[in-house]
Amino acid sequence: MNFSLFLTELWNARLSLLSGLGNTILISAASVVLGSVLGVFIGLAMTYGAKWLRFIVRLYIDFLRGTPVFVLILACFYILSVVGLDLTAFQAGVLALTLFCSSHVGEIVRGALIAIPAGQTEAAKSVGLTFGQTFVYVLLPQALRQILPTWVNTATEIVKASTLLSIIGVVELLLATQQVISRTYLSLEFYLFAGFVYFLLNFVIEQAGRAVERRISIP
Amino acid sequence: MAFLKKLAVAAVMTATAASAVGSASADETSKLQQVLDRGYLILGTGSTNPPWHFVDSDNKLKGFDVDMGRLVAKALFGDPDKIEYVQQSGDARIPNLVTDKVDMTCQFMTVTAERAQQIEFTIPYYREGVGLLLMANGDYADYDALKAAGDDITVAVLQNVYAEEMVHAALPDADVDQYDSVDLMYQALNSGRAEAAATDQSALRWFMVQNPDRYKDAGYAWNPQSYSCGVKPGDQRWLNFVNTVLHEGMTGVEFPFYAESFKTWFGEDLDTPKIGFPVEYK
Repeated sequence: MNFSLFLTELWNARLSLLSGLGNTILISAASVVLGSVLGVFIGLAMTYGAKWLRFIVRLYIDFLRGTPVFVLILACFYILSVVGLDLTAFQAGVLALTLFCSSHVGEIVRGALIAIPAGQTEAAKSVGLTFGQTFVYVLLPQALRQILPTWVNTATEIVKASTLLSIIGVVELLLATQQVISRTYLSLEFYLFAGFVYFLLNFVIEQAGRAVERRISIP
Repeated sequence: MAFLKKLAVAAVMTATAASAVGSASADETSKLQQVLDRGYLILGTGSTNPPWHFVDSDNKLKGFDVDMGRLVAKALFGDPDKIEYVQQSGDARIPNLVTDKVDMTCQFMTVTAERAQQIEFTIPYYREGVGLLLMANGDYADYDALKAAGDDITVAVLQNVYAEEMVHAALPDADVDQYDSVDLMYQALNSGRAEAAATDQSALRWFMVQNPDRYKDAGYAWNPQSYSCGVKPGDQRWLNFVNTVLHEGMTGVEFPFYAESFKTWFGEDLDTPKIGFPVEYK
């Protein structure tokens, strides 16, 4: 391994790698935020919905969780364009990861909600809270403690799954790295570097999650 | 009744045929007009295979494939830079054409009959062949030594439908390891996971120039294949246009553009096409 050559090439490639990292963060953040919002509604529907709604949502969750993310990405990019919805590679990729994230968050939220004793909801009803108020003021704060650790786990999964967008041509960190490798042929060095950056990114997410966990934990 | 039925069928068929002819000849539906109206060309190509298509240190896509797209953009708009690139993997070449993600694809695409059933190829702009790259200080001196070694050797090759068959045409007993990209293939050679790398003559030459004295050519080339751009099938007007541009790049007014690109990426000066009788009918 030629270290000084690697450092020189790393410096030469800093702008393209940084823009790749920026794309990775943007894709992951957008997918996690959108997927979580959608996932909360799915979790609610799964827990409190009518029977027919629960059936539909169950199908949605099982279908998405049972499909490889890679297949989801290809489907969002190619199948949607056949039926007339022409998304860019970036949009299709974010859509696929959002759907994937929502199915996982939906399950997490459902699990957290049914773990809360029914007495809580009954107490909220008896003091006259609406369902919306019950959810926001009574259930969600308690569910959040259950949700957070697995939710952070899902976020790191999404960061890793974002590498698959390179296949449909989104220049995120992995494809940016591959482009540098194809020019410099320093594959070992740059793949190690990319792996280290992904680790750092996920380490930061996990630490942030831990910090929030400590903040909201009941002493 | 039977007569009336026949008449009705004939009428419907005539109407269908007439409308088909009508839509095929309507210029406003051609990709050519769409691209002209849009003001830029959407070119599908890769970004990880020099000297065909790669991102240079100034963060720009370059290479011979990219230059073929630039030639078409120049013909369309008088400006070779009016291109939006779709950086796609090799697997995405045909799907991106068929689903209209790109106007055309130039991505070292080997012309095969199977592919020609799914997309339409332009005329070829390069004839590729395969050679064997060895380490200069390796155990095998040349092609004959490799062939004599039989199944003791492993050959690294870029992933391809014909990869295994292709290597075995030259080295019938060798093990074949397929890799996703050129750099991984060279890495296999460097690390001793493979004794030789079977790769395109163009890439081999380019790599040897970049790393003098480290590698050698085994001195045997085989497997001719044509590289063409691809377009979505069913648009003769657009296909004809791209064909004309490529043809004139290789033989006519745009020859200097083509020749300069050829020199840059393959290190070879081309002779000016002979004036007089058209060179392509020789």
